[in-house]
Order: sequence, then C-alpha cells, then structure tokens
Amino acid sequence: MSDALVLAGLTKTFRNPAVDRLDLTVRAGELYALLGPNGAGKTTTLRMVAGLLKPDAGAISVFGIDALAEPIAAKRLIAWAPDEPLLYDRLTPVEYLEFVAGLWGVAPDVALPRAEELLKTLGLWDERNRRCEGFSRGMKQKAALAGALIHDPKLLILDEPLTGLDAAVARQVKDLLQARVDAGATVILTTHILEVAERMADRIGIIQGGRLLAEGTLDDLRARTGEQGATLEDVFLDLTTETEAAVA
Amino acid sequence: MSEALTRRRPILPPGSTAWLFAHEMRVAWRGVLARRGGNWRGLIIVSAVVILFTTFVGVPLGLLLRHVDVPVTKASAVIADMVIAVIGSLMLSQTIASAVESLYQRGDLDLMFSSPLAPRKTLTVRFATLAVNAFLAICLFFSPLFLPVAIVGHPAWLSVYVVMAALALTTSSLGLLLAMAMFALIGPRRTRAIAQVTAALIGAGFFLGTQLSNIIGGRRTGGMWAEVMRTANDPAFHLPPGGAWPLRAMMGEPLPLLGLAGGSILLFALASSVLGATFVANAAAASGADTARARAAAKGGPARFSQGAFTATLRKELRLLWRDAALLSQVLLRMLYLLPLGFLVIRSIGASDAVAVPGGAAALTFMAGQVGGSLAWITVSAEDAPDLLACAPTRPAVFWRAKLVAAFLPMTILLIPLLGALTWFSPLTGLVSAAGCAAAAMANGLINIWYQTPAKRSDFRRRRGSSWFATLAETIVAGLISVAVFIGAMGHYAALGPAIAAGAILVGLRRNEAQIAQAIRDAA
Repeated sequence: MSDALVLAGLTKTFRNPAVDRLDLTVRAGELYALLGPNGAGKTTTLRMVAGLLKPDAGAISVFGIDALAEPIAAKRLIAWAPDEPLLYDRLTPVEYLEFVAGLWGVAPDVALPRAEELLKTLGLWDERNRRCEGFSRGMKQKAALAGALIHDPKLLILDEPLTGLDAAVARQVKDLLQARVDAGATVILTTHILEVAERMADRIGIIQGGRLLAEGTLDDLRARTGEQGATLEDVFLDLTTETEAAVA
Repeated sequence: MSEALTRRRPILPPGSTAWLFAHEMRVAWRGVLARRGGNWRGLIIVSAVVILFTTFVGVPLGLLLRHVDVPVTKASAVIADMVIAVIGSLMLSQTIASAVESLYQRGDLDLMFSSPLAPRKTLTVRFATLAVNAFLAICLFFSPLFLPVAIVGHPAWLSVYVVMAALALTTSSLGLLLAMAMFALIGPRRTRAIAQVTAALIGAGFFLGTQLSNIIGGRRTGGMWAEVMRTANDPAFHLPPGGAWPLRAMMGEPLPLLGLAGGSILLFALASSVLGATFVANAAAASGADTARARAAAKGGPARFSQGAFTATLRKELRLLWRDAALLSQVLLRMLYLLPLGFLVIRSIGASDAVAVPGGAAALTFMAGQVGGSLAWITVSAEDAPDLLACAPTRPAVFWRAKLVAAFLPMTILLIPLLGALTWFSPLTGLVSAAGCAAAAMANGLINIWYQTPAKRSDFRRRRGSSWFATLAETIVAGLISVAVFIGAMGHYAALGPAIAAGAILVGLRRNEAQIAQAIRDAA
C-alpha cells in the first residue's frame, strides 16, 4: 500500500514549539485517528498539511507530491474540514457547494449530481435553498462536510468532526467517512471522543508536545502499555500521563 | 471574589423599568464602543475636542448672540419647519434601522420574553431606547455650539431639547410603524434588507437635498430657495395651522411646547401598545420564516453550477454583497454620492464653463477612486472562510481578481450612463474621465489587495476602514490621477506628469503574493 501522507521532521514554533520534529506516515486507504491532549499540536500539524500554515522545518508529502514545493498540486487531492465549519452564513448549501466546486475546478456537470447526492445523503436536501445562517451546528457541520467532499478528495483531513453533533448526525457523519474509506479515500481525523477512534480507526497516532508518542492499531498500543484488553481511553491516559511524569 | 459580589448592591431595583432601561442603554453604549473597536482613547480625544470647541467657539458665540432675538415671523417659522424636517429625516433613518435590528435580536428577545418581566414593559423600554439614542445622537451634534448660546443668553431656548425629544419619540413611532408594515408586506428577511436601504436613502436624502443645485442646476434651486422665502414673506401667505408651533416651542412658549411634547408622548404610547403585540408575533415569525421559505423553495433542484474558481468567487461575492443589508446600504450611499458630481460636470458642459468641466471630471475621478477603493476593501478583506480559500488549489490572484470585478461591477453600472452622457456632450472630457475613473478605481482596488486586512464579514460593519497607510496611499494616488484628468480634460499633454507619478507610487507600493501572505500571517 502506498503512502497518502508522509511528514518528516515537521516543526512549527510559535512562542513554544507546537510541533517538534514530527515524523508520521499515513497509508493510502486507511482511517487514521490523531489523538492527543489539548495543545498537543494536532490542529497545527493538520493545518500545515492543508497548506494553511508554513512549517519552520521539515517535509510534507501528499501521495508523493512535495506539498511545500507544489502546494497547488497537493491541495487538489486534499479536503480540510476544521471544527468550526468553513461556511458563509448568507449562502445556501447549494450555493456553497457550487462555490467550493468552483474553487477545486470540478466541472459543473460533475459537481451538480455530486452535490445532489451529498445533500441527500447528509439529509440536507430539504434545506438546500435555505441560507446557512439559520442552521444548527449539526447542519452547518454537515454542509461543511459536503463542501469537503464535493471534489472527491483522496485525502480527507477532519479536525474534531463530531464535536457538538447529536447522535443521529454523528452516526451519519461516521457512516459517510467509513463509506469514503471503503471507496479508497484516506481519512485523517482528530477527536476527543476516544470511542470513535477505537471503533473506526485503522491506526491511531498519539501525540503530545508536538511529538509522536505512539502509533499503531489498538492492539499495538495495548501491547506497548502492556495492558491487554484495555480500552483506548486507558491506553491514551497511560501514555500521556507517563510522558507528563517523565517531563516533570 | 464572592465577598465582592455580595457587597455589590444594585442601584436600581432589578426588574424595574429603570433597571431595564439602564440595561438597554448599557448595551447600546457598548455597541457604540464596539463600532469604534472598543477604543476609549479615541472617545476621550473626541470628547476633549468637543469640550475645547464648546469653550473656545461656543461660549464666545453665546456672548456674541446674547442680545440677539429670533423674531417669530412666517419666514423664520418656515425655516424652523424645514430644519425640523431635515433632523426628523435623519432620526427616522436611524430609528428604522434600529427597529429592524431590535426585531432580529432573537437571542436577546428570547431571554427577555422567557423572563418573568411583562413583555409590554420590555418592549416599551426597548422602543424608548430607540428614541433616546436618536435624541442623543442629534443633540451631541448641535450642543457644542447651541448649549452655550442658550445658557449664556437665552435660557428659554433650552426648550429645543424638549422639541428634539418630542421629535425623537415621533420618529421612533414612525420607524416602528414602517418596520412593522414592511414586515407584514414583504416578510422578515426582505424587511431587513429593504429597511437598511430605506434608512440609507432617507439619510442620503439630506445630502442629496444639499446637492440639489448640482443635480438640477444652481439657478433653479436658487430660485426655489428664493421662491420659498418670497412666498413666506408674502402678506397673502398664511402658515398652516400649527405651522409656527415648532419655532414657538423652541423659543420656549409653554402651549406649543406642551402640545408637541404631549402629542409625541401620546403617539409613542399608542405605537408601543398597538405595535407591541405585533412586534412579539413578528419576532417569533422571524425565526420560523427561514424554514417556511425553505419549504417553499425546496421544490426546485440545484441551479446550474459555475465553471472555475474565478466565476465561482465572482458569483459568491455578488451574492454576499447583495444579501448583506448593512453593507449594501453603505455601498448604495457611497454610490449616491457620485450622482451630484456627475450632474455637476454635465451641467458645466452645458454652461461651457472652461474650469468647471475639467474640475468636475477630476472630482468624479477622485470619487470613483474612493468608492472603488471602499468596495474593494469590502470584497477583498471581508472573508468569512479565509481558510477555505487558502486550502483551495487556486492561486490567490484568481480570488483577488474576482473580488475586484465584484467590487467594480455595481459602480460601473452607475458610472456608464454618467460617462456616456459626458462623452456625448464632450468626447474628450468623457474619454479622459472614463480612463481616469477606471485607473483610480483599479489603483485603489490594487492597494486594497496589497494591504488587505482580512476579517469576518460579520465583524466588518464595526470596522471603519482599511489601515491608515492604505487610506493615505489611496488618497494620494487617486488625487494624482484626478489632477491628470483635470489637465487632460483641458487637452494638455502635461497630464502625463501626475499620471506617471501615480504609476510610480503604485510600483513602489506593490506587494507580490508571498509578501501579502506574509503580511496577513504577521497581522494574524
């Protein structure tokens, strides 16, 4: 299996190092959950991959494309969906999808049926001509997710996609992500809801202080902590607390 | 912490009308502060200037006028009526916009209506706040000059404040009535847009009124003014009943003063009680309207999609510009200011005025630059989803070009007939003006791209303008291009001088994509 994303020595410092010589590889076609406590550097890492932040050092490769040297080519393959939906309140979901499709250069005859399918799948069809300003958080998240998927990205990066969603919407989003992975796309997501990572992720990466603490399947992580049958929460707390203690 | 909290005792009884009013005023005051970026320093400076102006201009003027009386004649009564009409139109403009804003403060109203306070009390206080804000805005404008004059020599003239309060109550009632009528006729969403535009038009009416001489010709308006005065002084002319009441009330005569004050209070009480119930229903309907509209619109499928990033961005910007009522009214106002200049130039050509024609063309060019710059500032810097654009596989220049086109389209539509008429009457002036307008608008648009200050559209109305550096650069460049147009319209090649200077400044100011991106990152 080829690699969807390779980070090598990725570094970003604001006042303190946010991401510190991070090496990370995500294989094509897998759902990778990036976990870590608050301020661990997850969002900063993903923003650098999406081309929103320039790293101080290191390399980013997206399906073999050097994302720092050829950002436009890399961006064509990526969709970025942050925890705060990238929406325009005064546009309707249809208009929003039209705009995003235009940004990614999707031909109208391809984008239109795809928009229809996404709106129906996500339960936004009846709301398609209503402006987003009146939407609930869940509806906004779904509209933004539709925007992220309109250009059929090969690498989907989601930062806390399930925050603030009710159970039904969360299920819809999870099903959609799983369907994308089944169809061959790669998904990287961050989440504080560890059950989601435990149930959905092919592999899990745990970062803290901008560095990768551990990586692998849940069984790999259990083996690392020596706790057979432990939940991801137990493993996560063990690893992050252990590191905090070591630093202290 | 808890000790400090228990020690604080409210000055006004919580839940009382006065307490509620104080809350509304505090919210309004914080709104004023927020529109000025929460900058106390600016307010302190303005206050100091007002105090100095009052002391060194108002007080001497008061001493000078202390023995001067205003005779109550038909002419002075007509002038007073006209002043009241102008101030009333400004107050009405403010109260219409504020009434609609109140209607849409859903979270705030939900909180109020879910409390044990009587809805009638809540609404009356809210409506009264509209009137008080309109009153304060106008009083702050004329008081630095008027107050010393009244205190030093004419204490009875302080009745002007009572008249202004009556006017504020009356215009608030009318503003509410208009907002409700629009709501009933065209629905909540359109009401928001149309009310903003109506408010802008009523406000601009004052400006356009002062520019009548440019629009329909100096001799005619001079004639109109002379006609009004001649009619007022004609012994056969009689003021309509109550026509002198505003003047008499302002002079402090008790009966007209009580009449105006009582009438306005009665009107306000009536409007509050009659419109209050409708207001509650409208506020509730405002939240359901979107759903109802969506259901109605749900039958249609998605329309045709646009091709490519440029077209998609252009369509998006035009939609957002059209749908943002507050920004739309600002844009409309700025474009309206172009009209008198255009008419001035055309009229000057008709009069074969050798200096006024190029002068007017230069002024039109300068205004086109300013309006173009303002619109470009809105479309380029007001961006709700900058990250979406940043992670799109499109060069930023494509977005910027689309945003500039979106900014210039409305202005072009307005300028084409003006410039067309100019070219018809004077081809050289028309062509030079067209080139000048295009160059000035483009130059200022580019400056707004190079020195953009991105922010969310929702925060945008609170910001007064782009950076001082960009504003200064825009003014200088548009000024130089205007000078070039002035000289060019007179047929001299010397116009190339200021044009080249403007070009040189632009070359000096230019930033490439990387530099712009770096500046935005630094600012963030």
